[in-house]
Amino acid sequence: MNPVGEPYRFQGASQYVLDDELAKIVNVSIALEMPLLLKGEPGTGKTMLAHAIAESLAMPLIALNVKSSMKLLDALYQYDTLTRLNDSRFGDSKREVSNIEEYIRMGKIGQAFVSDCRTVLLIDEIDKADTDFQDDMLDVLDQMQFDIMEIDKTITARNRPVIIITSNAKKDLSDPFLGRCNFHHIAFPDPEMMRMILNVHFPDLSEGLAKACLHAFYRLREFRGIEKKPATRELINWVRALRADPDFDLKAVENGEIPYLGVLFKKSVDMNLAIQQAGRPRK
Amino acid sequence: MHPGIPYLVRDKLLNSLIERHALFVRFFYMLREKGVPVTPTSFLRLQKALALGLIASVDDFYTAARSILVKSERYFDTYDQVFAHHFKGATLEEITDVELTDIAKALLEEWLKRPKEMAEALGLDEKKLAQYTPEELIRYFLDRLKEQKEAHHGGNRWIGTGGTSPVGHSGRHPGGMRVGGASRNKSAIKVAMERRYRDYSQEGPLTELQMGEALKRLRRMIPHGPRDVVNVDKTIVETMRNGGEISIVFDRRLADRLKVILMIDNGGWSMDPYIEIVQTLFNYARSQFKDLKIYYFHNTVYSRVWLDPQRHLRPEAVEEFSRRDPDTRLIIVGDAAMAPSELRWANGSLYVGEPEGRSSEDRLKFLARTFRHAVWLNPQAEASWNYTWTIEAIGKIFPMFELTLDGLDKAVQRLMKRH
Repeated sequence: MNPVGEPYRFQGASQYVLDDELAKIVNVSIALEMPLLLKGEPGTGKTMLAHAIAESLAMPLIALNVKSSMKLLDALYQYDTLTRLNDSRFGDSKREVSNIEEYIRMGKIGQAFVSDCRTVLLIDEIDKADTDFQDDMLDVLDQMQFDIMEIDKTITARNRPVIIITSNAKKDLSDPFLGRCNFHHIAFPDPEMMRMILNVHFPDLSEGLAKACLHAFYRLREFRGIEKKPATRELINWVRALRADPDFDLKAVENGEIPYLGVLFKKSVDMNLAIQQAGRPRK
Repeated sequence: MHPGIPYLVRDKLLNSLIERHALFVRFFYMLREKGVPVTPTSFLRLQKALALGLIASVDDFYTAARSILVKSERYFDTYDQVFAHHFKGATLEEITDVELTDIAKALLEEWLKRPKEMAEALGLDEKKLAQYTPEELIRYFLDRLKEQKEAHHGGNRWIGTGGTSPVGHSGRHPGGMRVGGASRNKSAIKVAMERRYRDYSQEGPLTELQMGEALKRLRRMIPHGPRDVVNVDKTIVETMRNGGEISIVFDRRLADRLKVILMIDNGGWSMDPYIEIVQTLFNYARSQFKDLKIYYFHNTVYSRVWLDPQRHLRPEAVEEFSRRDPDTRLIIVGDAAMAPSELRWANGSLYVGEPEGRSSEDRLKFLARTFRHAVWLNPQAEASWNYTWTIEAIGKIFPMFELTLDGLDKAVQRLMKRH
């Protein structure tokens, strides 16, 4: 537990626009030593937040990108048997073949545990893994230790990492999992917030262009039947595309035309729907 | 308690602390009453956050309590409503010891169901906890409540005192926190009353993405393709057998080879409201399953199902299915609502000129016997199933699940069960 006047307080970082609410939640989670589970639709900056926290607290970031086939052990450590076999056969490495420890490589969680300084551990897209992985992982994070069977050694975290877990899933994670996390849902930024995000990325963006783009963008998100709605990343890329186009006409966007639709819609079905609906005059 | 404070002031402070505590306990109960699944463990965690001085104002409380107590955005709206109601001009009524005991009792009952979490929350070890009688536990809890009151002497870290806590509000801290100017400068109650999360409180229609999540586990991995994955164990054994000369053993990589048959009820007005969701399921299934056959029927299955959605050109006799791999997963989608005669009578088919001979019920039973792993997905809300006789009857033949995220999840579990 940090003493009062704790040294670690999250203050936002240069590339991330942090809202007040989120800052509080991050701080409470750090103080309570609880993993923070962030949910929200893609493009709301869940992953970015972990980067921002790491930057702000001046801690290294260790990111574990969860995959559906992943086993918990992969995230903890790997025993590199093949290299050992190879060394034992050819014996041309500096490693001591009889010392198994030299062939143990830390996975991402392991790295966060053995790191000399406190780290930010990002566990990205936890919803991709199965429930067993999720629950077992939280056991490890609860106890802050795990065993390496091959060398009969227990790895205990030297410094408790700041843990950020993200999930894209609409579906809730298991109850035991949720019970051990603090939770926040990042809502999609409102236009005001989005304007600030644009400012961070394009400090010299003109008021007229920003207004027209935002207006068009939020209108596009209202289109019916869209599977993957354009999010922050698409908006930023779109603005970038518009600014790069020498023939770009601001008036056209203001009048409801949407050039470079393909930057905003990544699926062909969505694209077709968007073309149909974008053509309709606004009321 | 601070020694310098006169008794009268001290008692007043203590009382207000008890009141505040009761306020939180009531808040906790009100959340539960309104259907937010808050756990006692998380409630204690909130107490810990308060004790640590992390919460200095109602604003802080609003945010912190939500992140600690509420674990899904679906309940954010309810939380907002309860919060606004509860803390709007909140009246601080006195709470008696009897009430406190009642509250403690109720909380403990909950905890007894989860002894491990409880032990953790109370800072006891599980063995010690097991030796306590319920009365002793309640005593312990009450003592702890008192301790907690004492730990907050001065009360300046509790809600409503204007945030004199040294930790301060994030965001408005003089330390120069970069908040991007997003602070709302509105009271938490006002924010809560805005009900920003109203849209999240209802389950929207299923998207393909969500179906993907639910159906992801519906697969059967078998070795397939080139041998390009090193089998470490076998390699070691072979190498030893080879006298230390390395002999690497390769395996085929695993690929999904699950066979799926999807039968869709695409006829009749009763399925019309669900076309979109069924279409989504269909799209997902087509892109996901390598070995998928899709058939169509109207209302229920008679002697034939069709490969074409018009149910006209490419019929397939139901008897033929007995020749299929019995490990195939059969998923039937339909509202299962029809006239009882359609299901029961041997000649119940809606179509004239289709001599049947066997009732649809028999056909369905035949399919259920043929495929051990079969489910029926019903797009109608489960709550309404009881009102339709045929739904109940079909539910006895196939395990029936609602075509929602939860239902899909259960259906997938069922389909992957070994039996």
